[in-house]
Amino acid sequence: MRRLLLVLEPVIWALFSAGMMVGGLLLPAWALVMGVAGPLGIAGAATSYDHFYAVASNPLGRLVLLAAMALPLWGGAHHLRHLWLDFGGLRSDGLVGTLCYGGAGVGSLLAIVAVARL
Amino acid sequence: MSHARPVVDAMQPAKSGATRTAPPRPPDGFPSQGNYRAYIAFALGGFFLFTLSLLVLRSVWAIGNGEAAWNRLQTGFQNPLYVIYHALAFLWLSWFILRLFRLFPATLPRRIGPFQRPPDALMVAGLSGAFVVVTLVVATILWGGV
Repeated sequence: MRRLLLVLEPVIWALFSAGMMVGGLLLPAWALVMGVAGPLGIAGAATSYDHFYAVASNPLGRLVLLAAMALPLWGGAHHLRHLWLDFGGLRSDGLVGTLCYGGAGVGSLLAIVAVARL
Repeated sequence: MSHARPVVDAMQPAKSGATRTAPPRPPDGFPSQGNYRAYIAFALGGFFLFTLSLLVLRSVWAIGNGEAAWNRLQTGFQNPLYVIYHALAFLWLSWFILRLFRLFPATLPRRIGPFQRPPDALMVAGLSGAFVVVTLVVATILWGGV
């Protein structure tokens, strides 16, 4: 499995760097509005079904949401795998790498389905 | 005087095999001292990237399931643990991307094609400003301002 991960390293690196950039740019605003201001009642429209459906269901909204869901998964997976390696997890790297990237892959497919069914 | 190559090469291994290397070990002071703390904190940003994108996925999935599912999710997000998690994610990821931008100039060569590399401070200010603008635009759209 480690050999396969080495072969796929350039692809994983491309997804990782895109995920860091997209996630770092888009997710803080999401966390602030949808995770803090909305639930606390400060941003009432943010939690409205009609408003979010209108934002999410137009073509540009779908594209941005797909990028915000799928790419950061790869950025996070790569960071977590390498954190594991830094703390001496070389022996289990094949398993951990497969779990991390497998999770990112499954999440990416679900993200495609999620925006397609809107 | 002969210049012939020696018949026996003392550096030649008796048989071919894998290159011998020392087992990996962490550097001194890892992970609690010096720059390693910021390095670990930066890598932990991966946890927030991974989990927050899963929560975005959960939200988009819920809105695809209809208004009742969306309202159930919003009620769940009012749990204080979710609010604390999101506040922490906001702070952590903001620091994460600003640190990434601060490190960015070091990854570029001194000359980019025929042009001199812009001053580091200008690049960091431009990228950080772009982050602020994108965050404000996305927050305004989500907030319901557009």
